[in-house]
Amino acid sequence: MPLLELREITKVFPGVLANDRVSIRLERGEIVALLGENGAGKSTLMNVVYGLLTADGGEILVDDKPVRIKSPRQAIDLGIGMVHQHFMLIEPLTVTENIVLGREPGHYGIIDFTTARERVREISERYGLKVDPDAKIIDLSVGMQQRVEILKALYQGVRVLILDEPTAVLTPQEVTELFTVVRSLVDEGLSVVFITHKLEEVVAIADRILVMRDGIVVGETTPGATDEVGLARMMVGRDVVLRVEKGAGTCGGTVLAVEDVHVHDDRSLEAVKGISFSVCGGEILAIAGVDGNGQRELVESIVGLRRPSSGRIELKGKDITHANARASIEAGVSHIPEDRRRRGLVLEFNLAENIILGDHRRPPVARRGIMHPRAITAVARKRIADYDIRTPSERVLAENLSGGNQQKVVVAREIGRDPELLVAAQPTRGLDVGAIEFVHRQILRERSAGKAILLVSLELEEVLSLADRILVIYEGLIVKEFAASKTDAETLGYYMTGGGGSKLDTGTGARQIATPSAGGDQ
Amino acid sequence: MLGSIITPDLFASALRMATPLALAAIGGTICERSGVVNIALEGIMLCGAFAGVAVTLAIGNPWLGIIAAMLAGVAIAAIHAFTSINLRSDQVVSGTAINILALGVTGFLMEIMYGHPGTTEAITTIKPIFRFASESGNSFLGTVWHWINTIFLSHTPIVYLTILIAVVAQWAMYNTRWGLRLRALGEHPRAVDTVGVSVLKGRWVAVLMSGALAGLAGANLTLEQVGSFTENMTNGRGFIALAANIFGRWTPMGSYEASLLFGFADALQIKLQIFRGQINIPSQFFLMLPYVLTVVVLAGVVGRAVGPASVGKPYEKG
Ligand SMILES: Nc1ncnc2c1ncn2[C@@H]1O[C@H](COP(=O)(O)OP(=O)(O)O)[C@@H](O)[C@H]1O
Ligand SMILES: [Mg+2]
Repeated sequence: MPLLELREITKVFPGVLANDRVSIRLERGEIVALLGENGAGKSTLMNVVYGLLTADGGEILVDDKPVRIKSPRQAIDLGIGMVHQHFMLIEPLTVTENIVLGREPGHYGIIDFTTARERVREISERYGLKVDPDAKIIDLSVGMQQRVEILKALYQGVRVLILDEPTAVLTPQEVTELFTVVRSLVDEGLSVVFITHKLEEVVAIADRILVMRDGIVVGETTPGATDEVGLARMMVGRDVVLRVEKGAGTCGGTVLAVEDVHVHDDRSLEAVKGISFSVCGGEILAIAGVDGNGQRELVESIVGLRRPSSGRIELKGKDITHANARASIEAGVSHIPEDRRRRGLVLEFNLAENIILGDHRRPPVARRGIMHPRAITAVARKRIADYDIRTPSERVLAENLSGGNQQKVVVAREIGRDPELLVAAQPTRGLDVGAIEFVHRQILRERSAGKAILLVSLELEEVLSLADRILVIYEGLIVKEFAASKTDAETLGYYMTGGGGSKLDTGTGARQIATPSAGGDQ
Repeated sequence: MLGSIITPDLFASALRMATPLALAAIGGTICERSGVVNIALEGIMLCGAFAGVAVTLAIGNPWLGIIAAMLAGVAIAAIHAFTSINLRSDQVVSGTAINILALGVTGFLMEIMYGHPGTTEAITTIKPIFRFASESGNSFLGTVWHWINTIFLSHTPIVYLTILIAVVAQWAMYNTRWGLRLRALGEHPRAVDTVGVSVLKGRWVAVLMSGALAGLAGANLTLEQVGSFTENMTNGRGFIALAANIFGRWTPMGSYEASLLFGFADALQIKLQIFRGQINIPSQFFLMLPYVLTVVVLAGVVGRAVGPASVGKPYEKG
């Protein structure tokens, strides 16, 4: 007897059929992966189950009985819990307060915090989800916050836990921990729906895999029966190149020169402690490093969002050290920021407005300070077509686009401006394989066009497949330089975690440093 | 001369002046913590002040006047709740409209009910609870008793009630179900909704509570302090209360303490007017003080003042 069954669920948004007669069964104690590209309809389907959206058709059965779920409260009462992509946590409150909210223990309206804390501790021990019950959410890492979300669902006594892209925000270490937690939940008799678009995760965690595409379930399989290439094909509907091929690089003269740059972070600590490098036209230079080693501040200082405290930055011989964002764009710097929702887009603006941001002062979009709607529409339509952005119209609000399409808007705008230098920070974060392939192709096309590209990424696969040269950043310093063809993920990982010692390596005088593997540049 | 300025009745007067500010400020705190900006405190207070006097004049019982003031506050707050919660209109616009409306309605009712604008007839004010003798000679103990008696024991009931309200509200905000949900509401209403707590209900209750408190503030003004109603007599107190709420970092006790500070500035200002010619600080300086302090706090000089994350944003169910 299935614990949860969906029959022919249909959900329509204006202009989009997000779920088209989707049927799914979930048994007790199993992990079902819901795999699909961005925009396939995974979140929509689960939001229907969780009562956040109302289906336009179909039936939901819990324990073989038809139910109507109109609110998350009803879902929770039926034993269905969900951890969202964007957490539902109240940041200034404590872990305990967040977990018990809505079902606070106590009498006469007075909360019994001793009991509350006790119960939180009890559940967290039972499922191996360690967390400080008195910590404030705002002080916790993202991985910890996710634990709190899971604990919240467990506290409410759910039997089915839906995790919507739970790994998107986690570090590799945290992903491993999450997998352990998920397995212990299943051991305790829960069932888990694991939404993702990452193939290797599906293979690692799922008992059963359901693949969604364009609002329908296109197939069901198991990790044993289909490999990653097969899954990618089911998901995208065509053969996907997981690693894009590229020709040999050329150097068409120095475009970006960074000299002994020092940058402070928001807490006024020195985050970049004297970095020098240069990027040629026609070259992709990648900066690899663990998050938080100064990449963000370095990028911001190059694109004019942060003032370096000392040093010099030149673009084609012109000093842009103290250029602001506007001057930087005018000098020919384009920037794909790491957080598309916060920095890449104005979510409340429509697609057309977003796709001309930064060009809004110059022809054809604006003349003499007045914007021309018709020109905007024309530019937008052209970029939508050129960059294969899937949208019903250019008037759709950016927030209603799927992640992949949002990123395409950013890429279209930044590359469409025809820059001298493209600074791409985590350009494929959170994207599915199809969209990753697309972004990679665009970046390589810029390279062929002789543009300079500075790629900052945490994904070693990406760094290795795109870059010509790789700099490893560690604690605000470049600790190692490699030719991309002469290194591998393991070696990079070693230097990224401080393996080479934090000695400055200019990359030119190749010092002998013992590495754990043979793939170094010595 | 300092001795004639810094007297016990300066502090007593500060406590009195602080009371209407504090009541409205605590109302503002509760309202904003739920996610609704209540700029209408000024207008609500004015309506409360009027209703209190009108009922007292009609029935002759100021206690019923207090209840009427609170009910009037709740009624006006209901308008604000409906427009900002149900209709999801801009809360600042709604509040401003209510302030203008309150001014007009009270003036209009004055004309209809009493046939003239300006000030109503006087009512007998509610008297201080305790009446202890203060004249105990010039001994040290006598002086101490005089100070204590004047500062703390010379007040009307609402002054004490306000202290009680501040303490209870502070405790409730951090120890009760209502308090936890209230704090959550203004930060992340969707999170509250997903655990099955009604955002609509929570916000309504909070706005109505703020109405009752601002109404009570009006009653304190007319029934305990002035003894009559004058058009626009709140004179910006509702706005100072909002400032006190911010200064007090959106907590009831903080609001009370900030109101004490503002009340003290007000009391000092009045006192200094008596010494005009001898002291050359313009009294306007003290009138300005609450606003300057608030700007200083907002500018982050005394640490950051951050309001609830979702305050002012209408909530739409997903
Ligand atoms: N609130 C909404 N309004 C309009 N369209 C939406 C809304 N939410 C999702 N969509 C659309 O529905 C489709 C499915 O989206 P979603 O379920 O979020 O996909 P997934 O979670 O698989 O990435 C997408 O085309 C998306 O643009
Ligand atoms: Mg999704």
